Order: sequence, then structure tokens, then C-alpha cells
Amino acid sequence: MQAAKILAALLALEIAVFSFTGANFLSSGNAAEILRLSVELGLLAVAMTLVIITGGIDLSVGSLMSLCAVVMGALWKDAGWPLEASILAGLLTGVVGGYMNGFLITRFRQLPLIVTLGTFSLFRGMAEGLTGAVKNYTGFPPNFLSLGQGYLFGAIPMQALVFVPVVLLFWVLLHRTGIGRSLRAIGYAEPAARYAGIPVEARLRLAYTLSGLAAGIAAMIYVAHIGQAKSDAGTGFELMAITAAVLGGTSIFGGKGTVHGTLLGLAAIVILQNGLRLSGQPTELAGILTGLMLIVSIGLEQRPGMSRVVLAVGAVALALLIGFNGHAVNTGPGKRLQVGMMPKAKGDPYFISCRKGAEEAAKELNIDLIWDGPTDLDPAKQNEVVEAWITRGVDVIAVSVESSASISTVLRKARAKGIKILTWDADAEPDARDYLIDQATAQGIGYAVTDQTAAILNGKGEFAVVTGSLSAANQNEWIKHMRVRLAEKYPEMKLVTIRPSDSDRDRAFAETQTILKVYPNVKAIAGISAPAVPGAAEAVKQSGRKDVKVTGLSLPSMCKTYIHDGVIRSIVLWNTHDLGYLTIQAADALMKGKLVDGFKAGSLGPRAVRGDHVMLGEPYVFDLSNVDKFEF
Amino acid sequence: MKSRELAAGLVLGAMLLILLFAAPAFFAPDNLRDLLLNSAGVMLVALGMTLVIVAGHIDISVGSQFAAASVATGLLAKAGLPMPLVGLLVLALGALLGAANGLLVTKLKIPSIVVTLATMIILRDLLRWTTEGAWVQNLPVGFQWAGLGQTAGSVLILVKTLVAILLVAWCLRNLSAGRQLFATGSNPDAAVLAGIRTDAVVTGVFVIMGILSAAAAMLNAIRFSEVPGNPGAGLELKAIAAVVVGGASITGGRGTVGGTVLGVLLLSVIGSALTYLGINPYWEKAVQGVILLAAAASEAVRQSRGLKGSYASR
Repeated sequence: MQAAKILAALLALEIAVFSFTGANFLSSGNAAEILRLSVELGLLAVAMTLVIITGGIDLSVGSLMSLCAVVMGALWKDAGWPLEASILAGLLTGVVGGYMNGFLITRFRQLPLIVTLGTFSLFRGMAEGLTGAVKNYTGFPPNFLSLGQGYLFGAIPMQALVFVPVVLLFWVLLHRTGIGRSLRAIGYAEPAARYAGIPVEARLRLAYTLSGLAAGIAAMIYVAHIGQAKSDAGTGFELMAITAAVLGGTSIFGGKGTVHGTLLGLAAIVILQNGLRLSGQPTELAGILTGLMLIVSIGLEQRPGMSRVVLAVGAVALALLIGFNGHAVNTGPGKRLQVGMMPKAKGDPYFISCRKGAEEAAKELNIDLIWDGPTDLDPAKQNEVVEAWITRGVDVIAVSVESSASISTVLRKARAKGIKILTWDADAEPDARDYLIDQATAQGIGYAVTDQTAAILNGKGEFAVVTGSLSAANQNEWIKHMRVRLAEKYPEMKLVTIRPSDSDRDRAFAETQTILKVYPNVKAIAGISAPAVPGAAEAVKQSGRKDVKVTGLSLPSMCKTYIHDGVIRSIVLWNTHDLGYLTIQAADALMKGKLVDGFKAGSLGPRAVRGDHVMLGEPYVFDLSNVDKFEF
Repeated sequence: MKSRELAAGLVLGAMLLILLFAAPAFFAPDNLRDLLLNSAGVMLVALGMTLVIVAGHIDISVGSQFAAASVATGLLAKAGLPMPLVGLLVLALGALLGAANGLLVTKLKIPSIVVTLATMIILRDLLRWTTEGAWVQNLPVGFQWAGLGQTAGSVLILVKTLVAILLVAWCLRNLSAGRQLFATGSNPDAAVLAGIRTDAVVTGVFVIMGILSAAAAMLNAIRFSEVPGNPGAGLELKAIAAVVVGGASITGGRGTVGGTVLGVLLLSVIGSALTYLGINPYWEKAVQGVILLAAAASEAVRQSRGLKGSYASR
């Protein structure tokens, strides 16, 4: 077990480094959080171990999670089933989905990679189709939510009640039963296993069915954990589960692997993420280091040799140290105010411009600003970051909320510990935060975009919307208000289609090209995701259609050239730089007890506070007359 | 034509037939041109993926390679280098990234799915870390369409893609390197005994894959006036799906350029066809999954069930 030793060494190294650099890393509270974060992924990874041991792979587990979650949510909320029955149905969905993988693989003698690549697409597609990708089932009863959010004896996360027995069962199955040995035999040499009288097909179907069941259980816990059931659940989990299993010494060729090895691999990944976060390091390092660990540990197993072990461990240690030296870490609870500020997605240009404003204010006020969040839209990741900040002991947490239902519980927990909570850009439940930094309401945005579209069409004609992803909560909210505005004020305007762009400029481009041809009467395109507007504008420009204009919600810097070209008539947005700036100013005023109506927000001057809303001001309309004045 | 290619061809034909009657506007020259231009990137990546899969390997880092090459294209052009030089440097970067994959696979004997899983995560997060998602903007005027204008630029992209397809197809058929590739993928041990340097073949294939990912990124980037910070997410699965639909065997040794071309066209036609047919976009992923499964199953139905082959995935 060369790999296990190497991995254990790496894990020990991680823990040693982080106990120096991470604030409160070695606390029982943090250990409990790490356990909580590992459960969903752990269930998938342990079941994946069995599948990989047979020489197969299951790419569909993340997608299957989303299908289980929405089936459960729909039966409970829409069909009025009792919660227990809905949960059973959710688990059954997992079993059926997993069995389907096994059936297709054995009946048609197809490779697992191909079959599960197909069901990867199919399951997610069904979840999106069934819910129109929009429906978000929330409002689950507290006793169910406590499964994902509560504590046993005040210290152990409730999930452990499910996780530990399930993992034990898998361990016994793989390591102490004939079935486990037969799975291993199939992985080593399938024909030999067949000659030995092992029912290969039945065993394979069992492995995939168990993987499906694990996805079902993980889905139920995930729903209880973040408090919502939606078609985007479990995105990307399959690769993480495979990574954990392979890192833990499971051979991708089959035959070799252990449940405890996988748990070790999982711990290495989760502790790395948690430790980097508590050390105030960029979490991208987690991905880079995980990748390096994969190559180092598997490479060493293939090419053993003590000198190489030392060399490689040294290399990773070096990489860790370089990471830490490159960025000054302020771990101790110094005198400076510590504010944790979270965007919905770090890589989104919209939030990047907010960050610039926030950093400017932090510099002026001598505040220690920690900017962290999910790389892509991901409500579960947002909870994770807040938990890490609670452990770290920051003074103020400011969140741009992706899913109000999922984050409110953890924000309440932070408040109970005396941390001040602000929401900005998008709100949580009112009792989960102290103040909202209010840049514009969903209604204000929806109405403004509709009005700009109406200005293009002179209040009459057809238009199309290019949105972010079909399941994005805020965009769906804006569309809802756009429809209200259309019904009230513009009865002669017709919204003919809504197409998704996945917030990808190139996809928005292709979708717009198709819209222009399929709906020749469309004379206006409204993009409601920042990259969608330049994507749509480029498509209109290249089509040579001078009669079509683009508008929407985007950043001036992205749209500048198209506004000059005349393809984009106008875009709607607030001053994102000021939004970030105001959030930090409000955090400072809140801590000093000065957050009252008319408080002076640095260079912005006095700002209104209405109830618990801190007002940024009206949305801007950017057009040819003013677009060059803005840098964001 | 082999059975799976035939299946892909038939499904594509059936879909085009339905479109011919239900939405003839689909066949407008403009639409076909846009469709081809939009799928040129996936086509080049899938072309490389065909070689990798025929060699008995897989590369899931291509989306990250695409992202790195896209950003590199933007940054180099912004630095004021002439476009042909930008092109050469970006292709060299692709070759380097591919060589890293290939050497890790052949020298350390790590399975390619593990190597490229690692390099996928490393590259993507390295890019996120350094660019923080910022777009490359204010590019020189000569960037878009390589300064040739829209029509000539489009022709350039399509011609280059076509040349790449024909070149790879010709080499596979006529060069000994092509036969060595099939031999390596069919049975690496036998190939070694036959005197084939399989490590060199595999490394070479990963280098070509990297070059083609970089070419795809570059040809895609010059269709626009700005470069997004982190493009190409999910490209690896699109390319693998297209290759598999096109009839290549994921265990290696089997696959054709023609099949892959059909697979790419089939999957790109679906996306746009669903809009033409007025089908709800929410079901798009489900339909794609069904087509992939159907293509896989249709071939299996024709094969007799024997003890040949194994369930192992590599």
C-alpha cells in the first residue's frame, strides 16, 4: 500500500502547515464542519470506489443527484405527498437510475464511460425538463433540515448518523464479503471471474445500483443541508468523487482499492480546501495542489523508489510554502476590522468590478478585507465559505446571496455568534442579516430592461431574451417582473423566446444567431447576463441586420465598442464599483454604530438608510452619451 | 462504413429530413455557414480526441487547454505581436501542454484519465488564479478575423478546419505513423513486439491533441473582438461524446475521422434544430443524452454477445 503511505504523509503535512497558518484550524468546531462538508461527496466517492474496482466508472452520479432532489421536491411540494414518502421516492429514483446504468452496460455490453456519459446528460436534462429548470423547492420542515444542518449532542453534525453506517456497510461489503471479492475479481480479470462462476452481469448491476442509491442518499442530505431542491444540485460532484477515490489508491484499471483509502483521499481534498480558506489563501490553490497530489501519489505508486518519495513530498511542501509566502497572511485577531465579503461567483466580471470598489474602501478605512466565494454559481459552496469565516472569527460577513433558502440558516448561526451580517447585491431572509445593501430591486431591474427594450421597439413588436443559465434564480426573478411590466404597460410587445447562454459569451452568440433566423420579426434582444449582451451584439453585428438592436444588463467595459457601433442601444446597470465600495463603508459604519440614515459613505457622500436597507441609488442607463466615463 | 458510423449518419440524415419538412429555413446558406463556424472549434478538438481515443487513451484536459490558449491568444495579440507570430506561439503552447500530458502518461505510467483529470484541474485553477476571470479587452483592430474582415475571415476558419480534417484523415490512412497508431491502440504489447515505439506514438498523439486544442481556441477567439477570462468549460465532454457517437471505440484501436465529423455535426445540429422545431430548451440535455445512448446501443444490438471484450474503461 505505497499510495496510502504517501497520501497519509501528504495529509499529515497539510494538517501541520494549516495548524500554523489557519485561524482556528485545529478546533473541534472546525473538525465538525469538515465532516459536514465531506458527507455528500464522501457517499458518492465510497460508492464510486466499488464501481472503479470493477474496472468501470460512473460519470452520472452528480446529475442523478439533481434528478433525485427534484423528484423528492416535486412529490412533496407539488403532489402533496408526505415528506417520508417523497424521500423514499427520491432514494428509489437513485436506485432506478443506477440500475439503468448497470442494465445498459451489461445488456448492451457497452463501456461504462459511454453509458454514464449519456446518462450524465440525460439525468440532468430530465431534472431540468421536469422543473423547467426554474422551480426551486424550499420550505422544508425543520426536523428534515436538521438532518443537514443540526448537531448531535451539540457537537457532531447530524449527517454523521447516516454517513457513518452507510460507509461501514460499504466497507464490510467490499472487504469482508464474497460480493466484495467478486467485484475485485471482475476488475482484475473479467473472463477469469466468469470462469470462476461469478455472475458478472448481476454483480456489475449491483455496483451501479449501489452507486445510484448513494447518489439518492447524498441528494437527500444535500437538500437538507442547503434547504432547497433544484436541478443544479450536484454539478461537478462526479469528478470530485472520482478524484477522491483515485487519490485514495483505487486503480482506474480495476481490481485495486479500499474504502478507507478513499476516505483518506477525500480528507486530503476537503482539508486542503478548508485549510486554505482559513489561512486566507486563494482557494484556486486547492485545485492546483489537488492535481499535483494526484500526479505525485499515483506516479509514485507506479514508479516506486524512496528518493522519489522524498523528492515529491518536498516538491509539494515547497509548493505549499511558496503559496503561503507569496501572500501575506493576517491570521491573528489583530486590531484591524476583518470583513469577509462574498460574491456569487468570483470569476464573473460583474463581481470583479465590485471587488475593486470594496478594496478601495478597505484601503481607506484600514480594514482587512477577505474576498472569497464560489468560482461558479454554487449555493452549497457559499454555505461552506460562511462556515469557514465563522470558524475563522471575522467581524463582519457580507454576502451576495445565490440562494436565500439555503444560506439563511448558516447566516443566523453566524449572527448568534455575534458576527454582523450584511447582504449585498441579492438578499437573504430578513431575519438572517442586519442590513441589505440595496442596489436595485428585482422589480426595478426587470422593469428597466423592459423599458429599454420598449424604447428600441417603440412599444410594439417581438423581442427575445438571452438569459444566463436556465436555473439561475435571480434571472428568473427578473424575467417574472419583465412579464408583469409587459402585461401592464406594453400589451403590443411580445416575448417570443428565452434562450440560455450558460453565462458563456460564445453560447450567447450562437443562440442569438439562431434566434435571428428562426424569429425574423424579432427586432430587439435583451441579454440579462453580463457576457450574454456582448455575445448577442456580436451575433447581430455579424449578421449585418441593421434593424435589430441589443439591450440588457451588462458591464459598460464589455459593451463599449458595440455601443459605439450602434448595435447596442443602451444597457442597464448600477455602478458596480460603488456597490462594492458602499458595502465596505456600511460594514465599517455598522461596527462603529454609525449606520443611520444619511451616513457618510466615504467618497460617495451621504447615503440613505431606509429601515434595514442601505440604498445605493437608482440603476444607471449607459448609452453613447456616457459610456466612456466608466471604467468597470 | 462501420456500424456505429452508419448509425450516426442515419440519425443525422433522419434529423435533417425532419428539418427539411418542418423547418426548411434551417437549410438557408447563412444558417449552414454559422452552424459550421460555430462547430469548427469542437470539430478540431474532436479530431484530436479521435487520435487520442484510437491510441487507447483519453484526454479530459482539452477544455482547460482551450481556455489557456484562448487567453494566450488575446494577451499576445494585445502585446502587439503580428497575428501569424501569435498563431505560432499559441500552437507551441498547445504542443507544450500536450507534451506534458503525454510524458506523464508514458514516463510515469499513470493512466491517461488520471493524468488529464489532474492537468484539467491544475490548468483551469491556475488560469482562474492569474486572470481572476478578467476578459482580455481593447485588442488591436487586426485581431478580429485576423484583420481580414468577416467574409474572408470566415472562409479562412472553415478552410483551415477542413485542411486539418483532410490532413489527419490522409495521414491515418497513408502514413506508417497512422498504422502504428492503430496498432498501439489495438494491442500495445503486440505493437511493442512489432517494433513500434508505443511511448513515442502516445506522446506524439497528446502533442497533436494539444496543438489542435490551441488551434481551436485561436480560430474561435478571432471571431470576436474580446477574449473571455475562462472559456471552454465542458468542451472535453462535448468532444468525447462526438467521437463516441462517431463510432470510435473507447478501448482503442478503432475510430475514423469521417465518423467523428458526423458525430460533431450531429451533436451541433441538435442544439440549433431544437430551436427551429420550437422544442423547449429545457429538454435539450435530455435529448442529447438519449441520442448518445441510442448510438451506443444501436451498435451493440448488431453485435452478437460473446465473451470478447471487457467492461473495463480506460
